[in-house]
Amino acid sequence: MKRTTIVFITLLLAAFALNAQDQQEMVTDCALSIGGNTTYLKDFVIKLPESTDQGNIPVHKENIYLMKKQRYLFTQCNANDSEGELTIELYDANNLISSSINKNNGRVYSSVEFSCNKTGLYTIWYSFKDGKKGTGVGIVSLLK
Amino acid sequence: MKKVLSSLQILLILLLFYSCKNTGNKGSEFIFPESDSIPVKEAEKLSHEAIDDIVQNIGSPVEMAALLLELKVPFITEHLASIEQAENLSTNSQKALRLGIYGADLGYLNIYEKTGSAVETLSTINKLADGLRVGQFFDFETLKNLAVNKSNIDSLLFLSVRSYNEIDKYLRENDRGYLSALMITGVWLEAQYLACQIVKDYPHLDLKNRIGEQKIIINDLLMLLRPYNESSDEYRELYNDLELLKREYSDVSITYTPGEPETVEKDGRLIVIQNEESTVVISDDVLEGIIQKTEEIRNKIISL
Repeated sequence: MKRTTIVFITLLLAAFALNAQDQQEMVTDCALSIGGNTTYLKDFVIKLPESTDQGNIPVHKENIYLMKKQRYLFTQCNANDSEGELTIELYDANNLISSSINKNNGRVYSSVEFSCNKTGLYTIWYSFKDGKKGTGVGIVSLLK
Repeated sequence: MKKVLSSLQILLILLLFYSCKNTGNKGSEFIFPESDSIPVKEAEKLSHEAIDDIVQNIGSPVEMAALLLELKVPFITEHLASIEQAENLSTNSQKALRLGIYGADLGYLNIYEKTGSAVETLSTINKLADGLRVGQFFDFETLKNLAVNKSNIDSLLFLSVRSYNEIDKYLRENDRGYLSALMITGVWLEAQYLACQIVKDYPHLDLKNRIGEQKIIINDLLMLLRPYNESSDEYRELYNDLELLKREYSDVSITYTPGEPETVEKDGRLIVIQNEESTVVISDDVLEGIIQKTEEIRNKIISL
């Protein structure tokens, strides 16, 4: 019984450790895959459950200051085992500025460039297309 | 005996887990939880979520430097904070503030690719991070090699900025939010100081405006510091100084012109152009007051 408990705890802790390591690698791979002409600013690891109601898709929100006359690049990467495709919506207060998903044809853009003309606090909404379960990373960088 | 062995095994597993948790850094260092001098109930006045809402990108170590480079302003070594006094800092508050200040300097050095000079700053940051027991997030050897070899500026920038993000996150998640708030203040203040010094010789409109726009941010910065401002004389003094800087901003006005965003697709990338615009109005006298107050606060901190 004791041995079973120890094996269980070991597996559980190993899973946590691997998860942290996987996340670290996912962020690094995603950030460095963006290529030249950008400077990394922030990353957000997103993990969301499957939606039980299509009208209420799980969303991960992050607030961020964006500065006038800067061009920002929002890049989304999906974990290898992610069922869903990571998408973003950028809001200024309650106004939708941009979405990485084309509502007409369903196409998801993995990166969105934003030419900011108004300094202020914006909100990024991360979610997975069609409310699928997923893991991914969102990187915010500065375009040179 | 079996019982003892089992406990030891569990302890070893826990140690292994914690040592692997922050991979890619100083992986083998185990961090013991510490209790800093600020009572938790003080920190709890502002919830983690509220702080999260405030802090993203308040003090970016690279954004101001990127603007300076874009404006083709030359690099000026004299504006960097001296690293000589850093060894003598005694309190965690001083170390956290200085960690932020050197973080902004590191961003300035790296953006301008002055990576040879960055090694000394990296070394100082490493010592301060160790002193605050967050050294596991700062992979000094890798950063130093990248800086010395000038091999990959993108990786150097990514790793150094991410180290700061990770330190900030770790401090906030481990009830050491007051140190995170100080580090962010240090980053912001040094970036503001660099802009203020440079605008004297290069009075570019974009730079003046960027300094004026900080009116929006200084309010949130004060909100971030407010829960702790009665915790020590040192902290209260900093808070009061920043309140005075905020007052210098009272005659800066920011207006907004509405407009609908335009979206185009180019080379598989979605490009969004914002047509709503913010406009800063800042007189030379007001700018001068902001420059003086910023200089005074920053120099007071680095003279400690």
